[in-house]
Amino acid sequence: MNKNKEKLLNSRYRAEKRFQFYGKSAIFLALLFLTIFIFKIFSTGYTAFQKTWLIVPVTFDAETMYLDENPSKEDLEDADYFDLALQTMFNLDKSATEKQQNDLKRMVSYFFEREIKRELLNDPSLIGKTKDVYLTASDDLDQVFKGNYPRDLPEDQRRVTDYQLKIFDQLVEQGRVESKFNLSFFTYPDSREAELAGIASSFMGSIFSILVCLVIAFPVAVLAAIYLEEFAPKNRFTDFIEVNINNLAAVPSIVFGLLGLGILLAVFQLPRSTPLVGGITLSLMTLPTIIIACRASLKAVPPSIREAALAMGASKMQTTMHHTVPLSMPGTLSGTIIGLAQALGETAPLILIGMVAFVNTIPGSPLDPAASLPVQIYIWAESAERGFVEKVSACIMVLLGFLIIMNLFAQIIRHKFEKKWS
Amino acid sequence: MKKNGVKMIKINSKNVDVFYGKKQALFNINLDIEENQVTALIGPSGCGKSTFLRCLNRMNDVIDICRVKGQIIINDFDINDKSCDVVRLREKIGMVFQKPNPFPKTIYENISYGPTIHGMAQSKNEMDEIVENSLKKAALWEEVKDRLHEPGTGLSGGQQQRLCIARAISVKPEVILMDEPCSALDPIATAQIEELIDELKKDHTIIIVTHSMAQAARVSQNTGFFHLGELIEHGSTDKIFKNPENKRTQDYITGRFG
Repeated sequence: MNKNKEKLLNSRYRAEKRFQFYGKSAIFLALLFLTIFIFKIFSTGYTAFQKTWLIVPVTFDAETMYLDENPSKEDLEDADYFDLALQTMFNLDKSATEKQQNDLKRMVSYFFEREIKRELLNDPSLIGKTKDVYLTASDDLDQVFKGNYPRDLPEDQRRVTDYQLKIFDQLVEQGRVESKFNLSFFTYPDSREAELAGIASSFMGSIFSILVCLVIAFPVAVLAAIYLEEFAPKNRFTDFIEVNINNLAAVPSIVFGLLGLGILLAVFQLPRSTPLVGGITLSLMTLPTIIIACRASLKAVPPSIREAALAMGASKMQTTMHHTVPLSMPGTLSGTIIGLAQALGETAPLILIGMVAFVNTIPGSPLDPAASLPVQIYIWAESAERGFVEKVSACIMVLLGFLIIMNLFAQIIRHKFEKKWS
Repeated sequence: MKKNGVKMIKINSKNVDVFYGKKQALFNINLDIEENQVTALIGPSGCGKSTFLRCLNRMNDVIDICRVKGQIIINDFDINDKSCDVVRLREKIGMVFQKPNPFPKTIYENISYGPTIHGMAQSKNEMDEIVENSLKKAALWEEVKDRLHEPGTGLSGGQQQRLCIARAISVKPEVILMDEPCSALDPIATAQIEELIDELKKDHTIIIVTHSMAQAARVSQNTGFFHLGELIEHGSTDKIFKNPENKRTQDYITGRFG
């Protein structure tokens, strides 16, 4: 008898140990995947925050710019810098053939003309003088300099010619190649050229979409939740509504995209590709999340508080607005932020309403066409150029950073304001 | 209190039945409550004494499935009548609950809430006065006067309960209902509250539900004994405790069940 008991006890201990082992290995696996994922993104993405510049001597020759003597500010503004810019690049190798000159031109971005112009506009006294100017290197050379480009491929499989590599190596030797923080990644809109592509338009697009989403979803969801939780009679009809709100939260997001396409764009003729439409579509998706969070936190307010207010002669409305709703706000707000964070990472519905269009302007309002961060990732991931590979990872990092900040904020709100009432 | 030798009746309940869904919780309760006296309602758990108490300020309205039948007449007015405004009624009939439930706000805001929503103070000074008087009446002023703007939830259990009493009397109710106000408190806090109840009966009619027969004997002038949803016996506390008419009352008082 005693032996049996001991056996039973031992097997219980073993069962617990086994269970703990399974739990620990599950956590270990999850952490492992997460680490691999983050490591992969960081290792491919961190180079995107550096940008390679070629430092090229530019001789601001008035004749090449077809300028008269003593040009005014307007003249400088209107002058033709293309020949000057071309000449600058050709000067790197004076004995270049025509084909090689073409290669030389392709060593910098097509912004080189503008970069030279900006230099002169900043300092008009440079006319007739020579100055070193920073020119954005082409994305291929950028990748070569960062060591991401396999130089040992045969030339016909490379986008960089042997000639370009030769000139580039010379420049490196002369210290005329420099890597600096890639500010343009944050300030430029999207571009077909990887070296010029930035996240400004998609970042602003995301911000505007989220704001529209917040402005629409939050009041509607909170009002719906308060009514359902505090005022609505409990009957079959309200049960039906509750079940369907929960169902709505589980609807695949692409369905909301179709709804946006079919109703907002087709019926209401709202401007396509804009954060306004994107935000409305996302708000449909966020609505059930906020309703559920708000109802849960209303439910969590102890009934004794409601009774206390009612017994003081507060009306139902006063009880709700003075006591229940303020007490439920921390939970509601953190639920809202988590809903918004979900919306921020949403891609499919935005693709359907046209926010996947190539936008090379920075939107100034929710009515301007824009992309969004996750869609930007999608667009870049589709591009063939090597320069976009690191951009994809960098954009993911920005998006993740954004999400982490939002979730942190949700946590802070919850902890800071919930302390009050225990 | 007697006026011209006649006991003044504050609350008069006639044939009160209460149902939770299909289950009947109170059967034909007829009970008169005397003005400016403490009436204790005693009885074993689940006997319906709290349910009856909650009928008096219509707190049972909150429970969807609860229905109340019969008349409860306060100041010549049936509170179960459709024309009765619940908000006005609850201004006149305050309530203190079993568990102290101060609002998660400051002590000051806890007291000022009732007067604010009922528009009882015209100025800040008036409100300060109401708050001070209420706290003094609840014997809490000395303990909290220096920290009126600290959260009420930071007080001890007994202080919280006195805060709730102060909150209830801030709107000058005619009747105060107390639902086992001391069941969550230690003996010292209980003694303070009992003393307070005795003081409060000068200005208010008090009805207290209690599990403790000793407490009922200490604080009340009248007692009603409930059992299984019926009012078995009521009368002066002296009589109920010393000379009960009903066998069940006697058994309960002497501790044979309950």
